[in-house]
Amino acid sequence: MKFRTGLFVLASCFVSVSLARAQDAQLAAAAKKEGKVVWYTSLAIPSSTAISHYFQNKYKGIEVEVHRNGSQRVLQRFMQEAAAGLKNGDIVHTSDAGHFELLKDKGMLLKFMPQAVAAFPDGFKDKAGFYYGMRATLSVIAHNPKIVAEKDAPQTWKDLLNPKWSGKMVTAHPGYSGIIMTHVLALVNVYGWDYFRDLAKNKLHIVQSANDPAGVVASGERPVGVNGAEYFYYKTLKQGNPIKIIYPKEGVPLVVSPVAIAKDAPHPNAAKLFTEFIFSKESQQLLADKEGLYTGHPEVTYPADKPKLKDLKLLPADADELEKRNAEIKKRFTEFFGA
Amino acid sequence: MAIVSIRGLTKKFTGAAAVDDLDLEIGDGEFVSLLGPSGCGKTTTLRLLAGFLQPDAGEICVGGGVISSASHVVPPERRNMSMIFQSYAVWPHMTVAQNVAYGLKFKKLDKRQIDAKVAKLLGVVHLLELKDRYSSELSGGQQQRVALARALVVEPQILLMDEPLSNLDANLREEMRFEIRRLHEEFGITTIYVTHDQAEAMATSDRIAVLNRGRMVQAGRPAEIFDHPRTRFVAEFVGKANILAGRFDGENRMQIDGRLAVRVTRNPDQELTSGEASLCLRPHHIVLTADQSEAEALARQDYNLFSGVIQRRIYFGESADYTVDLAPHPFSLRVVGAPSRLYDRGQRIFALAHPEHCVVISND
Amino acid sequence: MPASQTGTINRISQTGWSAVRFNDPTFPVWIGAALLLVFLMVLPLGAIFRASLWDETGLTFNRYLEVFTNQQFLKAIWNTLIISTSVGVLAVIIGALLAWLVTRTDLPWKKPIRALVMASFVTPPFLGAFAWTLLAGPNAGALNKFYRAVTGSEEALFNIFTMPGLIFVMALYSFPFVFSMIANVCELISSDLEDAAEILGANKWRTAWTVTLPLALPALIGGFILAFLHSLSLFGAPAILGLPAGLHTITTQIWTLFQYPPRLDMAAAFSVPLLLATMVLIVAQKKILGRKGYSTVGGKGGQKRLIGLGWGRIPVLLLVFGILSLSVFLPYWILLKAALSKAWALPLTWDNFTLHNLSFTFFEYGDTQRAIYNTFKLGLITATIGTLLATLIAYITNRNLFRGARYLSFFALAPLVIPGIVLAVGLFIAYTRPPLLLYGTIWILFVAFLTKEMPIGFSQAESTFKSIHPELEDASRIIGANRLTTLKDVTAPLARSGLIAAWSFFFIGVIRELSAAILLFAPQSKVVSVVIFDLKEEGQIGVIAVLGILLLVVSFAVIVSVQRLAGRDVVATRG
Repeated sequence: MKFRTGLFVLASCFVSVSLARAQDAQLAAAAKKEGKVVWYTSLAIPSSTAISHYFQNKYKGIEVEVHRNGSQRVLQRFMQEAAAGLKNGDIVHTSDAGHFELLKDKGMLLKFMPQAVAAFPDGFKDKAGFYYGMRATLSVIAHNPKIVAEKDAPQTWKDLLNPKWSGKMVTAHPGYSGIIMTHVLALVNVYGWDYFRDLAKNKLHIVQSANDPAGVVASGERPVGVNGAEYFYYKTLKQGNPIKIIYPKEGVPLVVSPVAIAKDAPHPNAAKLFTEFIFSKESQQLLADKEGLYTGHPEVTYPADKPKLKDLKLLPADADELEKRNAEIKKRFTEFFGA
Repeated sequence: MAIVSIRGLTKKFTGAAAVDDLDLEIGDGEFVSLLGPSGCGKTTTLRLLAGFLQPDAGEICVGGGVISSASHVVPPERRNMSMIFQSYAVWPHMTVAQNVAYGLKFKKLDKRQIDAKVAKLLGVVHLLELKDRYSSELSGGQQQRVALARALVVEPQILLMDEPLSNLDANLREEMRFEIRRLHEEFGITTIYVTHDQAEAMATSDRIAVLNRGRMVQAGRPAEIFDHPRTRFVAEFVGKANILAGRFDGENRMQIDGRLAVRVTRNPDQELTSGEASLCLRPHHIVLTADQSEAEALARQDYNLFSGVIQRRIYFGESADYTVDLAPHPFSLRVVGAPSRLYDRGQRIFALAHPEHCVVISND
Repeated sequence: MPASQTGTINRISQTGWSAVRFNDPTFPVWIGAALLLVFLMVLPLGAIFRASLWDETGLTFNRYLEVFTNQQFLKAIWNTLIISTSVGVLAVIIGALLAWLVTRTDLPWKKPIRALVMASFVTPPFLGAFAWTLLAGPNAGALNKFYRAVTGSEEALFNIFTMPGLIFVMALYSFPFVFSMIANVCELISSDLEDAAEILGANKWRTAWTVTLPLALPALIGGFILAFLHSLSLFGAPAILGLPAGLHTITTQIWTLFQYPPRLDMAAAFSVPLLLATMVLIVAQKKILGRKGYSTVGGKGGQKRLIGLGWGRIPVLLLVFGILSLSVFLPYWILLKAALSKAWALPLTWDNFTLHNLSFTFFEYGDTQRAIYNTFKLGLITATIGTLLATLIAYITNRNLFRGARYLSFFALAPLVIPGIVLAVGLFIAYTRPPLLLYGTIWILFVAFLTKEMPIGFSQAESTFKSIHPELEDASRIIGANRLTTLKDVTAPLARSGLIAAWSFFFIGVIRELSAAILLFAPQSKVVSVVIFDLKEEGQIGVIAVLGILLLVVSFAVIVSVQRLAGRDVVATRG
């Protein structure tokens, strides 16, 4: 009896796997017919270019057209085109979870669940099934150890308010970056707006992208970054630049970057195929190995010199809250920092 | 049978009339000059003839057909005319031969025929050796000859010339005058020639139309214009003239300065009643003599006699220019005399003029 | 020409050298060109006024009220005023000084100096600003590092991310306009006037101060206005240097208003004061300079003798090259270094050398490949169609082909008063909705560039036709060619070199345009300037440097080719 059940289970596994494989092949064929997928993304240029090359190598004949910009700009672009009735983008990917609540509410997303996502933690899944977290990173403090010695470096968010850092720090902008938008919301929830009012007194250098502070800090232009994408700091460090990352003990904002397919995607099959691809173990491991990112995939392993997420105090962000307070955050940040 | 007929032609620019009610008939093969000072409307008239401007009133007919009127203008390219310009307008990016050949493109001739015609005309204007040169390599006179060849090669019905010699220096101008006249006699094309230089007009034209302030003042053959000017303006513009004011008796006498009686002639087709008028007497037509008996002999032959004193003499080599003071009369006469008999300043002199040369003219 | 002829021709040209009538078969061409021109100019402006003045309830001035009461907006306006005024003054000082030295003194090496001024003119201001962030960022900037190494100081010599820094860089790329204008005037001042002063006892400097300067004063004021207007409309430099310091200008503020959720009506309302200010200043400039565009200063009289600088020659030469190194040598050097380095801030040792930036830009990154393609495609199309349109319009106005043709030149030159970003706002509003849905394609960029660069193309075409004697065309017409054939056989060949120059102005203007492109681009229609700006926000220094150098190389190549072509040509002069 058991043997027969076992055989049956084995057979059905075999069948379902072949079925899955057949479905995959069908999808791949349909995608090849479409010929390309258009990806609006906020993932850093080297990383997004690398992903697109991996995909293109695996699925020959399907071009990935990468349009990379800051999260807020990506949304602006997508909304502008929709308002004009233009259907250009297949896949939207930013680091501001609030965007996806907005897009979902407007009915602009396609309900699609990639196979691999079933095993992901809840923080990486939209309950309604419209979007999923492709990657995650943290917003952290960083400093240039050649200019600011480790023992002198700021260790907490509050340390950054010390006047001795005046003129020596750089911040990115929530008006451009989803990571920073999430970071600001997280800290406002813990410390209130007064924190940023006081921070601004230290005359910070303002850049736009969450990836820019890495270059600024490494070049020594400003030796301390008060925020920034951890994955990019990490990559810059690995390239041999002078960077030291600080993970404040009071809490580190966790930024999960969702990805979704546009409802009116001009290349829906290619979009689905690409989505399946980026959530596959292979691709997610690539993100962890080469790009310094965290993922939701339970089987992915991370470099030894990166802290484990479970060892850190994380400050998660709520997608709804991000959507509702988006305008407020931009406005007040600009108020304090001038631009 | 007149081939060009201009009737009532009027053109206004910002209110003022540049051409005012002009009438002119030009016969087939005639060479007519439009002569006058700057601003008299001669260039405007020419451009109206060419079709570059549209009349405000009046019309231009060629061979009986209206080509310009206030309502319609046949465009220049279809008027079968050619034009020569003061600036030569030789196209600098084409060779001499290409310039001349250009107009023939529109005549549907093949290359061989075009080349033949071009060569012929270039020979006529003596420029054959320069046919591959560009205008920057040519002198002013040579450029003007290119323009002539270019204009003539298309065998136009009418040739228009706009002060073509004004930019050349004096010697060249004289030479070119004769050239233009020669070409006219060889080709016989009806030509309308604009100039402000009366010598030029006289040397080249069959008839001259004198214009002033947009109106036609007098038209006629050069001798007519010169010998029988109708108005003071014409008399002074065409050649040197002594103009004396006085009273005309309506027949054949004038009283100058109330005392001096002069026998005069008048223009046969000019209406001149008795009253205020002027006397026109050309310096060349006055005979000078210091010999009283010679003077009396001429007076018996009806010559008018003036006596006076040489006030000034300018010697030109080919002639001598005298100013004779006719005191007690308040005027003097300019006289051009032969270089062979020279009179000195202060010398008493008799100046005699035949009535034929004492022309009554109206006072404007 | 004798006076009689000139008088007649002048009178005739006032009302119609050879006017076109309705029965002329070429009439539709001319009317078509004229209507197209008017349409291009009027539509965006109309859109701006409509968007800023109307809402669902009807006519409203609310938005204008908000522009002038909102703290942030007011700050932006104030910043703009200060910056533009300072840039104007600084540009006049540099431009006038160089112009005077080059035209009136015996300074050596004038040709290279003029070429370097031209290079400053051709360099896009946003690229210069970018290069200066690498040179004078307070900590990592090359110059500041050098200064610290030499003096041992902790401080930076110069922080470029400040208002003075922004003013400095904007002036470096505005002064060439002033230089041209003043050089033209200085050429005309007869030495007799200066000789008179010297005979009476004034030395060189006093003469310059008391004689030359007052004569050139109208041109100086005109140059100030020109530099002021130029800096008003800049977007890239303020965005790159001002925003990091928390400074907004009107242009960057308008750009911010486009971010999600966009406030197009406010952007339109904000554009209008900018537009009006520009109009007023241009009218003032014309009045000050008279109709010819520069004051005629005893134009024909006397010779021009050069003032000897004596022992001052070497110091002055060093000063001049010092100034030009700020706008040309230093920025170009740092761009080259950044293009070839892994880490731009470190010295260019063999370790640091890489060609990866080049390969990434040209072969790997889809955005840059696409942008390069779009940029040159747009450059070619806009330059060609623009030159064609400008030629037709310049021909119409120059030969006064129909009543009122003169007013067409107004429309062709009108875009001068419209700052690039304002034009973009208008075009965006006008063309992002059916039936005229151009947004998302490169055609909206085409319309923007065509409109924006028309004034310079038209001016060039106009002066080309002015130099061709009308009788050359009359001679063709009377001999049997109609108007269009004449245009083809006579006018076009003679106008060739001038029109090639017009084409090159269009082309170079298009490939470096940023302030309009930044609002109108879509992901598929990105151009190089926009990509550079985007990459700046990402900190991709090496790639930016490669793209910037590409722009410069192409621009210079075009200029050199045009000069070669024009030089070989036979130039038509009046008889």
